[in-house]
Amino acid sequence: MQRAYLNAVYELAQVDKNVVLMTADNGSDFDKWFKRDLPEQYFDMGISECHMVSAAAGMSTCGKIPFIQTAGAFLAYRAFEFIRNDVCLQKSNVKMIGTGSGLSICNLGPTHHTTEDIGVLRTLPGLTILSPCSPREVSECIGAAYQIDGPVYIRIGMNGEEEIYALESDFLLGKCREVYFGNEAVIFATGSIVSEALKAAELLKKQGIGLKVVNVHTLKPISVDMITEYIKNMPIIYTLEEHNINGGLGSIILECLCEGEYQRRVVRIGLKECFAKGYGTIGELRKSNRIDFQSVVEIVKNTIGKIRN
Amino acid sequence: MEEKYELMRIRKEIFLAAYHGNCSEAHLASAFSLVEILYTLYCKDILVYRPAEPQWISRDRLVLSKGHASLALYTILAETGYFNKEILKSFCYPDSVLGGEPNKLEIPGVEATTGSLGHGLCYGIGIALGLKMDQSPAKTYVIIGDGECEEGSVWEGVMSAYRYELDNLTVIMDCNHLQKMNSVSATMRIDEWRTKWEAFGWSVEVVDGHNTEELKKILQKPKKEKVPQIIIAKTVKGKGVSIMEDNVQWHYKLPNRKELKAFICELGVSEEELKPCKGHI
Repeated sequence: MQRAYLNAVYELAQVDKNVVLMTADNGSDFDKWFKRDLPEQYFDMGISECHMVSAAAGMSTCGKIPFIQTAGAFLAYRAFEFIRNDVCLQKSNVKMIGTGSGLSICNLGPTHHTTEDIGVLRTLPGLTILSPCSPREVSECIGAAYQIDGPVYIRIGMNGEEEIYALESDFLLGKCREVYFGNEAVIFATGSIVSEALKAAELLKKQGIGLKVVNVHTLKPISVDMITEYIKNMPIIYTLEEHNINGGLGSIILECLCEGEYQRRVVRIGLKECFAKGYGTIGELRKSNRIDFQSVVEIVKNTIGKIRN
Repeated sequence: MEEKYELMRIRKEIFLAAYHGNCSEAHLASAFSLVEILYTLYCKDILVYRPAEPQWISRDRLVLSKGHASLALYTILAETGYFNKEILKSFCYPDSVLGGEPNKLEIPGVEATTGSLGHGLCYGIGIALGLKMDQSPAKTYVIIGDGECEEGSVWEGVMSAYRYELDNLTVIMDCNHLQKMNSVSATMRIDEWRTKWEAFGWSVEVVDGHNTEELKKILQKPKKEKVPQIIIAKTVKGKGVSIMEDNVQWHYKLPNRKELKAFICELGVSEEELKPCKGHI
């Protein structure tokens, strides 16, 4: 996903000399290519996230379009007040890329996990929040962010995500995408963890349960009517996120339901009032924290039965 | 001599804006310490700007990082024609564009919305970098406070400005030695700034921040190439009204009836000027 992100920014920067890439001592080999080919448009601001955010906002007043990147945890938490005052309050045209979102940076533990970023950032007026689930969707989100004249935050996982979309895809900013058909229940998922929802839906299908999977790549703004369309014929709703259930996708869906005309039971799957436990691969970490596909299967089976009866 | 009265008049305008404003407190003392600095920049041919064209691409940019001194900036912007002086009388009224901290989106001539300390330098560095990319001759000026330098983000910016060789950036420190609750020295055991900024590679000048000729001379001096510059302007917080000068109690305050006399006498305020204004904008 990081590669897809950087390729997309690289392509934009080649065409539009106002596009710049800023990092806070963060990145990969791909950044080195960018720096080699477009040195005038590359700024390593050092280990100083607050400064990077503020400088990007200042630079945007000169017509530049900064894409700034670092680990989502450092960007969203440490630099929050700078994102609020310098980017959102001043409507700065800055694109903020939180890499390694969710539990991607597995073994470094909760200081490096981005499991509350949606919760804190979606309180900010005027900020668009995108959470792509596959490399192609990352490129599409970067393209959409470039078109927006204003602040955007994109959270990008770093788990070697597989592609789930065809070359000609139907990405539309603000519009959820159904990625698996089912007619008994719906699960909303966002970011890398959409893959776990997909695996769960496939397993459940074999067991006779039809779970629709909806990828919510645009977390903000979100349309109540659009969410309502997905839930109106479903007796029970699930949400899955590599994030705290409070403030994240689970809360977003609850809010949509409360503001809409249908009342449904919602089961939120994610981190529950805790920081992530354990270490290991992303699969192991998801399993330890009961947000992997098997946990989803188990939770769905335990809850859908009651509705069926 | 004429300039002396001009500066006194500007202080009076600042005071009157707060006095007639919809507020029971104001950062008068911080605004007063800044008057000569802003006056020199805007009225003595340092900044290049066009009040009728606030977004003119080649303008010099001034970021007031210590946004709480907004009244001084508003008054100077009105003096120079960015907006009508009558608007100063609307300070802090519900529909006013002039609040306690400057808002870029609403006030012509304001380059950055500030208020939270430790932002303006980083923001100004971004502007200076952007101008460099475009090979613009425009300069960036950032005014910070000495107490503000207790914010860690200031030092993130200090490193970065040197790293990016921002010789189009001038920081002016309104070094009035006081912060909200105490002196800077008593709060953080800092008595001098020159060596600290020099240690980070900056070109440092120290000047009497109330002497406009000295300020002008230093601001006009050719800049060292490839290094950012800071001018440490030694000032007196509350300068111009004796009871407010160098007095920590005046950080966020307006005079009571008894204290008002000092303002009236020392700033030459007339009875007429103290009468309630009608029809605030």
